[in-house]
Amino acid sequence: MNFLKQRMTTTLLVASLLLVFGSSPAAAADKKVVLVITADASDYILAAGGTIAKMLDAGAEGYLVRVTNDDKDSWDLTPEETARRTREESEQAAKILGFKEVESLGYRAGELGGVSPTELRDRILFYIRLYKPAVLFIPNPYAEYVEVLDRFYVGQAAEDARRAASLSNYQPPFAVVGLETHVTPELYYYAQPFDPRRREAESTATFVPQPKALDIASTFDKKLRAAQALKTINHSTAMRIKDRLESTDRRLPLLDEINEESVNRLVEINIHKLAEIAAKDTEHSQAEEFHYAGVEYQIPSKYLQ
Amino acid sequence: MKVFELITVLALAAMPAAAELPIADIPPGHTKTFLVIHPHHDDHSWDYGQAGLITKLVDAGWTGYYIRVSNDEKDGPHGYPHDDMVNLFEAREATENLGITDVISLNWRNDYMDAMPINEIRAQLILLIRKFRPGLVTSYLPWGHYDRNPDHRKVATAVGEAVWLASFANVHPEHRKLGLRPYRVPNKFYSQRFDYGKGYEPNVIVELSESNVRRKARSYWVHRNVRLSGSTGRRMRALLKEQGLEIPELEGLSDIEAHARMQEWSMYDAARKVGRENGVEYGEMFSRLGEWHPWPGLKDYLESNAVDQ
Repeated sequence: MNFLKQRMTTTLLVASLLLVFGSSPAAAADKKVVLVITADASDYILAAGGTIAKMLDAGAEGYLVRVTNDDKDSWDLTPEETARRTREESEQAAKILGFKEVESLGYRAGELGGVSPTELRDRILFYIRLYKPAVLFIPNPYAEYVEVLDRFYVGQAAEDARRAASLSNYQPPFAVVGLETHVTPELYYYAQPFDPRRREAESTATFVPQPKALDIASTFDKKLRAAQALKTINHSTAMRIKDRLESTDRRLPLLDEINEESVNRLVEINIHKLAEIAAKDTEHSQAEEFHYAGVEYQIPSKYLQ
Repeated sequence: MKVFELITVLALAAMPAAAELPIADIPPGHTKTFLVIHPHHDDHSWDYGQAGLITKLVDAGWTGYYIRVSNDEKDGPHGYPHDDMVNLFEAREATENLGITDVISLNWRNDYMDAMPINEIRAQLILLIRKFRPGLVTSYLPWGHYDRNPDHRKVATAVGEAVWLASFANVHPEHRKLGLRPYRVPNKFYSQRFDYGKGYEPNVIVELSESNVRRKARSYWVHRNVRLSGSTGRRMRALLKEQGLEIPELEGLSDIEAHARMQEWSMYDAARKVGRENGVEYGEMFSRLGEWHPWPGLKDYLESNAVDQ
């Protein structure tokens, strides 16, 4: 009898959660909303651009929150000019992927270590309650060897924000102005493939996000064009590689002359290789890899059995 | 042999041995300068220190600088001002023994670093990176897990940020006024307690000679303020005597000399253990981040297509 009662309770709990979140990625709102949090203009495109474009192609509404102003990543440009150009270019890139809006929070790049984590969390929390996303993409703060530590700070704050957004005792003033609590059912942690253990699950599939590779063949071209739109950052990358090679008496024939064509080709090589790395040992030819926490992430494994 | 013992032996024999790590060569070193950045006076020479790598670089003609970030005021039996001075003095002696050219002490307060803005520590490191333009930086691993020492965590993060940001001209543009240009550190050799959980993932070993280990072993106990005590030497010998044992090599040595000898052996053991697990006599383990680490999608292409000028 107790067993039957427990089974019924479990079934009801799972059913009610699925009712709230939906059984498909679409879900919590009339139109599925995808909210992407990124530390900088390039990271989310390189790590997750194909997957995001696919969701937006399928009818989801996309919003991007770019936390820093990318004012450091340029060659021979002032921070102000770098920030101005990169803002324009990041909005252009987001448009290519299909985003509806881009919010740039304007924190200076490389300075997030000095920003209060609570402040950062609450800035992101605001957008979660505003847009009420069904899907949230955040930088993976647990990825090792990601040298751009802004991504770690943003990932940590975003993860915290997702939880806090669902609890009414966080930021009570937000409720006063109509920003109600929100549970985001699907969460994708993204990172470029720096971490040699990125494909290992942290633990068993209980509350812990699991590795997941997704096919991006259909949106690869969009991802490539979006990456190429970041002209200032790409030029900076090309110049820094050339500078390093020249300082060590080497050269890369592709970069003998740095112009739009050669830089775009460099980006293309990068994007192709990233897709190949993520697709390795999967059924896909071009992929992106994540740590993923879906609806079941909300349900303790003992109830799922 | 009993059946279950036989089964155990067979099972162990059938288990795959842990894969040996590749041996890292000393990098080409277009700038033969390296920085060792650590929170403390003695972090270079202990079980997980880099003293072996340091001596190899020096032997290969590199010039090294030791950047001590804290003032080490907590480490030792004498109290704040005395320990600061003794530990710095011994750091100079120990690193000189390894062949280091100079010790630059930043003097941040030992074990109180969590309250310090990381951007301030980082700014000092960026300045020094641009000044020395090192071909290699070695420190604790910025992504390490479970390190209980707050100074280790803080300095490792500051180093991680400094080597990333030193290459961007818009980071501390005032440095240009001194003629210091942006600089990207091509080789990072990070170390940490590799028995401290999943976060530590060494990917190379550096093979050491007996000479490398000998210098490391000496630099270990040269930090006399924290590493040598006559009472420990005396106690160890008493314990041996109680069990009817003696170590001939310790005969004729004072208690403090005996302790120094035992400390040296512990360094040999640590290096030997890493070596044994990786098919060489002596070694140190590292997480090495190479020249093209920031661009995982371009690394293969650059390595295959870059040519000599």
